[in-house]
Amino acid sequence: MANVKFSNRDVIESSAKKHPIGFGYTLLQAFAFLVVFIALLEGIARISFISNLLPYQSLGSWHYQFDLKWFRLKQYVANNGGVDVILLGNSLVDTGFDPDVVTQTYYEKTGLQLRVFNFGIDGLTVYPSSINAKLLVETYHPALLIFVTEMRDYDATNGIRTEEKLLSDTWMQYQLGYFNPRGWIIAHSVALQHFLPYRNWMRADFPSTFAACLQTYHTTSLTGYEPDNGVMKEVVAPDPNNLAGNPYFDSNQPYQVDPSRLESLQSILDLARDNGPQIVVVEMPVHPVFFEYAGGETVHKAFQEKIAETVRAGGGIFLPAIDEVTIPLQGRSNLTHLNRRGAPILSAYLGGQLAALTNQEGMMFVNKQKGDSQP
Amino acid sequence: MNITTASFAAFMLIVILGYRLLSARFRNIWLFVACLGFLITWSWEFVGILLILGTVNYILGRWIGEAKEGRKRILWIGIAFNVFTLLIFKYSDFYLPELTSFLARIGIEKGGGGIQLLMPIGLSFTTVQLISYLADIHNRIVLPEKRWLKFILYILYFPKLLSGPIERARVFLPKLDQPQPLSAESIARNFTLMVIGLTRKLLFADVLNALIPSAAFVQPLTYSAQLLLTWLLAYAFVIYNDFAGYTNIARGVSGLLGIELSSNFNTPYFSRSIAEFWERWHISLSNWLRDYIFFPLSRLLRKKFPHPDHIINFILPPLVTMLVSGMWHGLAFSLLLWGGLHGAYLIVERIPTLFAPKVLMDERPKWRQAMATLFTFSLVLLAWLPFRMDPVTAKRYFAGIILPSHWLKPDFLWMSEVFKGHLPVGDVYGWNIPDPRIFLVLLPAILLDWTQFRHKNELIFLKWPRWAQAALLALVTLGLFLASFADSAAPFVYQGF
Repeated sequence: MANVKFSNRDVIESSAKKHPIGFGYTLLQAFAFLVVFIALLEGIARISFISNLLPYQSLGSWHYQFDLKWFRLKQYVANNGGVDVILLGNSLVDTGFDPDVVTQTYYEKTGLQLRVFNFGIDGLTVYPSSINAKLLVETYHPALLIFVTEMRDYDATNGIRTEEKLLSDTWMQYQLGYFNPRGWIIAHSVALQHFLPYRNWMRADFPSTFAACLQTYHTTSLTGYEPDNGVMKEVVAPDPNNLAGNPYFDSNQPYQVDPSRLESLQSILDLARDNGPQIVVVEMPVHPVFFEYAGGETVHKAFQEKIAETVRAGGGIFLPAIDEVTIPLQGRSNLTHLNRRGAPILSAYLGGQLAALTNQEGMMFVNKQKGDSQP
Repeated sequence: MNITTASFAAFMLIVILGYRLLSARFRNIWLFVACLGFLITWSWEFVGILLILGTVNYILGRWIGEAKEGRKRILWIGIAFNVFTLLIFKYSDFYLPELTSFLARIGIEKGGGGIQLLMPIGLSFTTVQLISYLADIHNRIVLPEKRWLKFILYILYFPKLLSGPIERARVFLPKLDQPQPLSAESIARNFTLMVIGLTRKLLFADVLNALIPSAAFVQPLTYSAQLLLTWLLAYAFVIYNDFAGYTNIARGVSGLLGIELSSNFNTPYFSRSIAEFWERWHISLSNWLRDYIFFPLSRLLRKKFPHPDHIINFILPPLVTMLVSGMWHGLAFSLLLWGGLHGAYLIVERIPTLFAPKVLMDERPKWRQAMATLFTFSLVLLAWLPFRMDPVTAKRYFAGIILPSHWLKPDFLWMSEVFKGHLPVGDVYGWNIPDPRIFLVLLPAILLDWTQFRHKNELIFLKWPRWAQAALLALVTLGLFLASFADSAAPFVYQGF
């Protein structure tokens, strides 16, 4: 250690003396370079040939499925000249409704062609759905908004993290009217939207998460439907004396409809005002055993009545869940989700119900002029 | 307030503008307010603790300076006070559980949550600065500072508060009275320092850190040797770029205020010996350890064992110095092991000089210098194991690298099946192929150091043609902008010390 010289031997010399003036000019030049780089990237990203080569765009949202559906809907509208019906809700909607089947059934019964898109997003409860509904109505002006709901939407403890994460995203905040530069850039830069799917490229788990995103991207249809291949093997009923570990509800307190969440439902219904879309609220036909986790059929009935009452009072149409025997066990992937067998049955039912509303009530869901719903 | 955030940039601009526009009389008051503001963004309790700590040392310093007798005793009181304060906060994990259970037994603590102490940010850095201040007054190297405000600024000065550099009072305090004027040259230098710092932290350290799976340092034996080696390599560059990045930003900010801070790193991974490594790594701490541990201990031992090559003189000073270094980082056996390893390296490295005259490294052939660099880096790399993980896991990690049975054949077939879409991505580590993304980041990180090392100039970029500087700055800005969209940012590693 005695020979250790702790002195800072290679004293770092100042080289800035070579350029005593003009650093400001260097900064200006750097800014010019930056503008050129960005313009080049933006120009390249906007060439459709290049854009088509890149897998998918993102808004940098915490919920990659939201980004995926947002851009898929944009593409859908570009391809079809607009959208008439948007289905809204959580993953039960995502995997439970095939818009092509809805369109086909409706066409067979009315002779009218509907343009339907499935905007179901995993984990979304009624509050974030109401925000989505507002954004979608303002951007695409659909003639009909179908909000598909279930009991967990109104459970005060459910989906809080997803809600907070999704709604605090910079792009979302910008869309909701809270200006921020990042949100503005994301909303306007196609190059950045193409970069954002890779923004976490440095994370150790990126290969697997990116692959999962790509898989969802490829399996989701152009109308937003994501078929579920799972099949429910058996129905496990909960032990009524021991609901600890309840996977669906907070077992520490009895189920009740949270008033603030009911307000969110009301805000969806309010969108119908001032020539807004018609609102239909559909109850998702979950397996009856699911209600046992919530406290039984009585609790479900009370929930159903509460929702029906709110919807009717708000001027909307409420379609209660179809009889459970209509969807066979093989049509479910678990107690709540339908699989690729069950989804067409429910979609055909919905198409039929919409057709009945058109034929019997004279309600029209097709935007009057093609292009009406273009953003 | 993290120093890589936009809010810090805004804060910094306001502070610099105010400092530069105010007359000399009010500058230190402005700085004091700014430091308090910065500290409060972390915790208002820290303000109180650091102010008390600073005031006690201010009084002690003046007491030592004015005392006719018993100066040494006062110095030791001061050292004990500072070390005790550090122990109270830094090593609370060791005694608080016992204290809580004792208080519960006698019925005082009933809350159930236990007592918790939050260590003030930068306390380790502050403590060593205060000890050196008192020791320097005692040794008549520096006069005690009479102005309380100025002395408190030595403690609270926000650019160096979180993670140093560790400044000596005799060097730092005069700068507060005579800040360097703002010139095009100083703006260029300090701006470049900050850009290099941000690049090191956000583009190298944070990215490499995110590329290492968290399980690697917990269950190393579940991975093949080539993966473990790559991650260890990545970690070495994480800790270096994280700390060096912080120092560069701190120096840049301080430089714009006209107060130059010392350089803490000088391309350490190009060192050709461990002794040289410690001249280039965390230089301000190394110098402190040299001046306040190594030299005093060596002098003390030489009184008892006059021969310089006596085994005690040979072994104890470097070993104790490095053990203290380990303890300064934290009272954990693994950190003692890290310090002990470096101490052992220094001792072994010196053995050949007992038998033959020392040949300066610069006089040796280039290939031997290159080999020495590689060997030194390997030793440093090995020592990062106990620095990062507990000794048992570190031992497993080491075994995972060193045992031939852990060097597994890369599974290119599996990988190609995944790329063809026949198999899900699943566990990519099962391919036994080192992550190419790590090398993608290591390459520019090494290139940056190599450029600085080759020219012996950390600001070599300022010698480039203006268009090249501008293009590089534009690229780095774009890189930083894009990196800011990643979902999380890591805190500075040394902030924890």
